[in-house]
Amino acid sequence: MAATDIAVVGYAQTPSTRRARESEVQLLVPIVTEALQRAGLDRREVGFTCAGSCDYLTGGPFAFVSNLEAAGAWPPISESHVEMDGAWAMYEAWVRLQHGDIDTALVFGSGKSSPSKPEEMWAQQLDPYYLAPLGVDPASLAGIQARALLDAGKATERDFANVVVRSRRNAKDNPNAQVAGDFSVDELLAEPYVRAPLRKHDLPPISDGAVAVVLARGDRARALCKRPAWIRGLDHRIEVHQPGMRDLTTSTSTALAARKAGYDGGPLDVIELSSTFSPQELILRDALGVDADANVNPSGGPLAANPVMATGLVRIVEVARRIVEGSASRGLAHATGGQVLQHNLVCLMEGD
Amino acid sequence: MSTSTPKENLVMEHLVSLTYSEELTPILERYVDALIDGRIVGHKCPSCGRVYVPGKGYCPICVVPTTDADEVEVGDHGTLTGFTIITPVAYYGQTETEPFVYASVLLDGSDSNLGGQEVVGVPHDKLRSGMRLRAVWKPKSERSAEGVSNRGWGSVSSVIDAFEPSGEPDKDRAEYEEHIF
Repeated sequence: MAATDIAVVGYAQTPSTRRARESEVQLLVPIVTEALQRAGLDRREVGFTCAGSCDYLTGGPFAFVSNLEAAGAWPPISESHVEMDGAWAMYEAWVRLQHGDIDTALVFGSGKSSPSKPEEMWAQQLDPYYLAPLGVDPASLAGIQARALLDAGKATERDFANVVVRSRRNAKDNPNAQVAGDFSVDELLAEPYVRAPLRKHDLPPISDGAVAVVLARGDRARALCKRPAWIRGLDHRIEVHQPGMRDLTTSTSTALAARKAGYDGGPLDVIELSSTFSPQELILRDALGVDADANVNPSGGPLAANPVMATGLVRIVEVARRIVEGSASRGLAHATGGQVLQHNLVCLMEGD
Repeated sequence: MSTSTPKENLVMEHLVSLTYSEELTPILERYVDALIDGRIVGHKCPSCGRVYVPGKGYCPICVVPTTDADEVEVGDHGTLTGFTIITPVAYYGQTETEPFVYASVLLDGSDSNLGGQEVVGVPHDKLRSGMRLRAVWKPKSERSAEGVSNRGWGSVSSVIDAFEPSGEPDKDRAEYEEHIF
């Protein structure tokens, strides 16, 4: 049994919307069912279940426990939860599968940002050492990162706008996207700043949504899926939490995770990045060393749909789906957590 | 290892207030409309027949969807399946000052409890599991959707003031022990 013998064999996601009327678990029930059906797997056969979500988003204590009802937790199942993006739930399931005693796993990520005011809620996240509120929201930190990028001469505001134009254009082909359409760089640059030098379109939309993935190992994967998306490498690396203690214009943890995941710089048919703010796509491209004409975020990426806690796992699904459907043979997905690209995960996938 | 005199711990007080706003889910909107009308409704699983109050939109045991078509009405009499008597301690936001009951009530025809219900008309030391209760409804003009939320396990306080003894004989444990919450 090798770590490279585990594959994505089923997936489903909700459309991303500004405000879903359904509760988080009501968003999850149909897509968990759909992902299992796509894999042709009965839920009672699932060896391990892992979910990623954040109760602070909806303000519902133990919302993550209700979410488990989407997996059918009676009779009792073997399961776990991470207060992280669903991509890290998948990482846990991938590690669990390597124990060798089970051959299938169910993973999901979900988030409803609509009930809260994200700029208020995220600022209350606690510093890991002093347990004091951070006091600063992600968009403000991304503004500082963008400024650092401009000051270093590594990018221009026009480069940021170009990322947005391409993301929104790509999103036109993604039925799950929330923001899509044709825009010109000049019209975007005429917009006012919301966190200088970032404009509203440089920020992700506020989204509600959920995503589910089914993993399987070895022969079971081949039996469940005609063309499994094999996970050739999966790794995550974290940098110091204090943004002032690192160079915000680079992402050494992404570069390291990619190397550890086995990315050798070779050709990729599809790359999906959790570039939640437009300048981050430039930083991540640079960290990964991908070609200028690489197929980055064909789904539109997080600038088109950002269901926090699902966004990273959606990247994995967007790559896996293209491999399963046969339009791609090799792809890379990236997920991020923490402040301004503090913690990064890279998943390298291939078809047979 | 430091041998200096221990200093006082630094304590930083920080009171957090976060604002959340959301609409009721469509199922709960229907549920509260019925409550104001004086009816308690839930969803009956088309697969196992279990009734959930309020409806969830799915059966958590069978993981099959439920819809308005699966709606059933349950009774406003029920059985006390479990309770605790809480002695309030003063913390920010606590409005209770006297010991109060937090009871789970299994309504007739339902398989899920309403949690966190108040029981009146009986001394705390006379409360017992299996005891029969009935809803004390607010007058129709005073009922509102205010107390019903997308979270919580039985928020009906803006429609039903409390539960009180109905005088019916206690249920045998066997009749409710699969429903203790």
